[in-house]
Amino acid sequence: MNAIEINHLRRVYKTHTGVIKRTSKEVIAVEDISFAIEEGELFGLLGPNGAGKTTTVKMLTTLLIPTSGTATVKGFDVVKQADEVRKRIGFIFGGERGLYWRLSGIDNLRYFASLYGVDPEVSKKRIPYLLDMVGLNGRGDENVGGYSRGMKQRLHVARTLLHDPDILFLDEPTIGLDPVGARDFRNVILNLQSEKKTILLTTHYMFEADALCDRIAVINHGRIIALDTPGGLKQHVADLSVVEVETFGVPESVLEKLRALSFVDSLAVENNEQKQMLLVQTRRGAEAVPDLMSTLDGQRLGRVVVREPTLEDAYIRLVGGEA
Amino acid sequence: MNFRILLKYWRTILVVAEMTIRQQLMDGFIIFTILFQPIIIAALALWMLKGKGPDYAIFVVVGSGLTGLWSSLLFISGNSINIERWIGTLESLVAVPTPFEVIVFGKNLANVFQSLLSMILGYIVAAWLFGYSLSIVQPLWFVISLALTIFGFICFGLVIAPIFVMSPAVQQWQNGMEFPVYVLCGFLFPIALLPNWTTPISYILPPYWAAVALHGTTTAGTPLNQTLFALGMLVLFSVIDILISSRLFKVMLFKARADATLGLE
Repeated sequence: MNAIEINHLRRVYKTHTGVIKRTSKEVIAVEDISFAIEEGELFGLLGPNGAGKTTTVKMLTTLLIPTSGTATVKGFDVVKQADEVRKRIGFIFGGERGLYWRLSGIDNLRYFASLYGVDPEVSKKRIPYLLDMVGLNGRGDENVGGYSRGMKQRLHVARTLLHDPDILFLDEPTIGLDPVGARDFRNVILNLQSEKKTILLTTHYMFEADALCDRIAVINHGRIIALDTPGGLKQHVADLSVVEVETFGVPESVLEKLRALSFVDSLAVENNEQKQMLLVQTRRGAEAVPDLMSTLDGQRLGRVVVREPTLEDAYIRLVGGEA
Repeated sequence: MNFRILLKYWRTILVVAEMTIRQQLMDGFIIFTILFQPIIIAALALWMLKGKGPDYAIFVVVGSGLTGLWSSLLFISGNSINIERWIGTLESLVAVPTPFEVIVFGKNLANVFQSLLSMILGYIVAAWLFGYSLSIVQPLWFVISLALTIFGFICFGLVIAPIFVMSPAVQQWQNGMEFPVYVLCGFLFPIALLPNWTTPISYILPPYWAAVALHGTTTAGTPLNQTLFALGMLVLFSVIDILISSRLFKVMLFKARADATLGLE
């Protein structure tokens, strides 16, 4: 049996404006998606902001009612059998919210253990075990308001494991964490995977998805546009090379000229304060560099690197340069 | 529902109440609602009724205590749902296997229990500041009435909470809901002073019967039958409120999930 099954799931948000003359607007967040996740699988859901990732996770965690279509978790319908689904899942939405800052870490866990119906005797043993597992041993008595972002994220993990759920939904769990915190967090995810938990992970970090996920679905504008293993997705760009050009303040008109070049398959721009990184996908490899340089003539340039494509490049090609 | 599940829910209610009190002890707004507002109301009412005797004083003490209970329930319990929404915990609370009404029961228990302080403070203001000699005419029935009042207020709060779950915009109407209940439930003066058409509305509100019972047990010459009838009605309408709230929670939670109002995004 699949742990999660989604069939033609769709979710439309309605927004209203005005009091006397009321107008409503519909926004399609998820448009007809279908996929299944096997027991024990670590499944990634990637996509740009607003692609429908969080909406999908919220429907699967019973927090949103789908507009149409069906979804089951462990065979239970997320709308009609929400209570059964809730007993079997845990979830984390990225960020610092979702905890009681005026309570200690231990009290937060005691509170949620009680809400998940964990026997008090069991939770007495489980809470120290989980605090130890997420690296918060010795800090459980402190108020959560004084925790760093990484500590709060780790407390979220402990909270979500209190009732030992079979299925975990991790929605951008490493967002905002420093590199060491994010690495520690990925190790926690790997440990959970080794315990045969089924995990649905959404993330913006491609290397994270590449390192962790068994399979990845790429979602854009509410539709699944690719579903494969990380290796399979990379095959989408196997014939390409990537030229990375470090630049400073290249105007949009020059970027348009680059996009118009016949050998440029796609161009993505990563902005980092004043610095820009141009990621040019091309079949010509290093031979493309002189023509790129002549188009960028007069611009302030930094280093130029030609490299093999990664999952991120496959993702950029799939979503058409949206980041 | 079997005994084991009830016991589990009761344990959860106590944990929710404990955590609610722990958090609220650090909140200035809540301290004001529970401690200072009832003192101000009691002092003003006692000053207005100055010289009318200890019977009026105990009426005011009980009445100002009831206003504290109602304000606490309306503002603190209502706000607490919106606060849960703002801090991102409302979704977590809805997505646990424990029914949401059990969680709200625990929160209301904490708020109503804390608000009993209002009544004690009113007593202190009357006795120490105004020098009244206060006595409770039927102490045993007063204690029973107080326990059932707590239950009645919790149940009344259960009917209000689903509305706050459905939409954060409901908070705008809170102020408008506070005073009518003071008046309709006869906390500080008898409802006989109100137009006749309001009487049926008072009768269906558990706090009205709580006020009748508490005022009856503290006022000399009130027949016990009248208190017992009020307690019976208090229990009856409290149970009706539980049944109504159970249905309301289902409808409002479904609507909140359909309209995406559990979170802020």
